[in-house]
Amino acid sequence: MRYTLSPFPSSSRSQHRARARSVAFAMGFALTMFALVVVAAGGCTSARRGEPFAPPVVLDNAQQVRGEHAFARHCAQCHPGGAAGLGPAINDRPLPKTAIKAQVRAGVGEMPKFDEQMLSDDDVDAIAEYLLALRKSPAG
Amino acid sequence: MPRICAAEVSAINAAERSAWSGSALSVLALALAGGCFALRPSRGGGETEAPGTETAERLLDTRDVKVPEGYRVEIVAAGLTFPTGITFDDDGTPFVVESGYAYGEAFDAPRLLRIGATAIDVVATGDRHGWMGVDHEGGAFFVAEAGITKPGRILRFDVDGTMTVLVDGLPALGDHHVNGPAVKDGWVYFGVGAATNSGIVGTDNADFGWLARAPRFHDIPCSDVTLRGFNAQSDDPLTEMKGDVAMTGAYLPFGVKSEWGQVIRGQVPCTGAVMRVPVAGGSPESTKIEVVAWGFRNPFGLAFASDGRLFVTDNGYDERGSRPVFGAADWLWEVKSGAWYGWPDYADGRRVSDPRYAHEGKSAPARLLGDMPEPPVPTALFAVHSSSNGIAFSSSARFGHPGQAFVAQFGDQAPVVGKVWAPVGFKVVRVDVQSGVVHDFFVNDANANGPASARGSNGLERPIAVAFDPSGTSLYVVDFGVMAMDEDGAHPRPRTGAVWRIVRADPELAARSAAK
Repeated sequence: MRYTLSPFPSSSRSQHRARARSVAFAMGFALTMFALVVVAAGGCTSARRGEPFAPPVVLDNAQQVRGEHAFARHCAQCHPGGAAGLGPAINDRPLPKTAIKAQVRAGVGEMPKFDEQMLSDDDVDAIAEYLLALRKSPAG
Repeated sequence: MPRICAAEVSAINAAERSAWSGSALSVLALALAGGCFALRPSRGGGETEAPGTETAERLLDTRDVKVPEGYRVEIVAAGLTFPTGITFDDDGTPFVVESGYAYGEAFDAPRLLRIGATAIDVVATGDRHGWMGVDHEGGAFFVAEAGITKPGRILRFDVDGTMTVLVDGLPALGDHHVNGPAVKDGWVYFGVGAATNSGIVGTDNADFGWLARAPRFHDIPCSDVTLRGFNAQSDDPLTEMKGDVAMTGAYLPFGVKSEWGQVIRGQVPCTGAVMRVPVAGGSPESTKIEVVAWGFRNPFGLAFASDGRLFVTDNGYDERGSRPVFGAADWLWEVKSGAWYGWPDYADGRRVSDPRYAHEGKSAPARLLGDMPEPPVPTALFAVHSSSNGIAFSSSARFGHPGQAFVAQFGDQAPVVGKVWAPVGFKVVRVDVQSGVVHDFFVNDANANGPASARGSNGLERPIAVAFDPSGTSLYVVDFGVMAMDEDGAHPRPRTGAVWRIVRADPELAARSAAK
C-alpha cells in the first residue's frame, strides 16, 4: 500500500491550493483594511525626530544600532533621519514591521528593491527595528 | 482611462504574486507613499512662488532656529552678499569671503571681510571670478578663486590685502569650480569640480550659461582613461537652426563623438579632483601641482580631522543633462592618496548603470569608462540633492562630539537638479565618521524642513560653510542667503547672507564635562 504525506487526495490538491490562496488573500485583505483603519485613525505625526527637537533617539539593543547603521548606508539618502527628502517621510507612519520589511525587499514606485545581496535578512530586520524605535521617539 | 502610478502597479503585481506581500505593499503604497512620486510636483526648498523678486531686508531671529539642548545660537553678521567661506586669524577674529558669484549668472566683486565686534572691514577685493572659500595659516589668507569666466586660481593675501597668485590655470569654466582650500604642513589643498553633471557636455550646460562662453570646455581626467564609446544625442544649442542635434562623448567638447577604446590622456591640473600646491606657490607648467585623489564630482568642503586624515564632501549627481542620474546621494570621503573615487561611473559605492539610478521607465546611465579600479566606499552618505558642502571637525570636548564632522547643507536646487518630495538640506548636520550616521544639528524650528524663506520665518536659509574658532568652542555657520529656484534656474538674492555662531549654553558646565 502506498501512503501519501498529504492529508488530501492528489485529485483535490489543486482545489486545496486554490482554497488556501483564497484564505491567505482574505487574511491579507483584512490586514490591509485593518492597517488602513489604523493609519486613518492614528494619522501621521511630525517627521522631525531626535535632536535638535527632542532628546536623542534611544536605541535599546545591538539590533537597533545595527539597524541605524544600515539605515544610514541604504535608506537615509532618500529619507534623511526618516523624514521626507527625495522620498516621503517614513518615521511617522504606523506601519507594522512586516510591511516595512516587505517594502524594503520589493521596492515600490521609484524606491528600488533591496535584495539579499544588498541587505541580509538580519539587516532588513534591524532596519525595521530601528524604524520602530525612531517612530516611538518624541516628535518635534 | 485613469492613470495608474508606478506604486500602484507595483503593488498590484505583488498582490498577484502573493496575497501577503500584496497586502503589505498595498498598505505601503497608500500609507507610506501617501501619493505617487511620478504624479507629484517637485517641492524643493527654493521653489517659492515669486523667486528673486523680493527686495526686502532679510530678518534674522535666533528663536526661529533649533540646536540640541545645551547649545545656544547667536547672530554674528547679516546683510552679506553670497558669503561662501570663513576662517580665523590667530586672535580668533573671523574673516569671511563673499563670493561675488552665484548660480543664476549673478556676478559682483568678491571680497575678503574682517568681521569685527562692531564693524565689518574690507581686507581685499577681487574681480568677478568668485571666491569659494578661505583658510588662514602663518599670518596669511588663502582663497580659492572659482574661475567661472576664466581659469581658476589659488590666491594668498597678506593682512594688508596684498595678493599673491599661488597657482593659475585651473580648469574651472564649467558647472563646478575651484573649492576649498585647506592648508596643512606647508601645502594648500583644494578641489576642482567636474565640468559636467556626469561626464558629457549637454544642453544643461548651455542652460547654466557656460557652454556659450566656453564651447570647447569639457572634463579632464587626472590619469589616462579608456572610453567605451558611448555618445549622447542632444539638441545643439550652439547653432541657431532649430532641430539641430549633436552627438557628444565623455571627456570631449560638446558635439565631438567618442570611439570605443579611445584613450583620453590624463592631465594635471584636472577636473573632479583634490590637488595641492606648496604654500610658496606653483604653476600649471611646473611640477608643483600634485593630484591627491580624483574621480570626485564636486569636492567642495575639505577638512583635516584631529588625527590628520583628510576628508572631503562631494556633491552627487543630478538628474539633468545628457546622462541624468536619479537618486544619487552626496558623499563624505576619507581621502586616500592616489585613489580614484568613481565619478562618472559610480555612485554611493555602486555602478550608476544599476537600474536604481534611472527614473522608472528610463534607461540607466551607460558606463563611460573601461576598466577602472574599484572605488572606495563613502564614509557617509548625505541626502540626495542636499548639496552637502562646508565641513569642520570638532576637536574640543568643551564643544562636544570631538572627532565628529559638522557639515553645512546648502539645500536642494530643485527643480533644476531633479524633483524632490520635500525640501532637502538647508541645515547643519553632525556626522559620526566611524558609523556613517548623520544627525541633524542646526535646523529651522518648524514642523517641516526647508529654508526660512519657504517657511515664513527668520531662520536659516542656505548654510554653505562651517568652521570652529581656534579655541574649538564655537561653531560658526556661513549662511549664503536666499536663492529661489524655478525651471529657469537660480534666483539668488544679494545682501541676504549671514553668519551664525553656536556655543554651549553653559560654558562652565561644558568645561566640567570636558575635564571628566
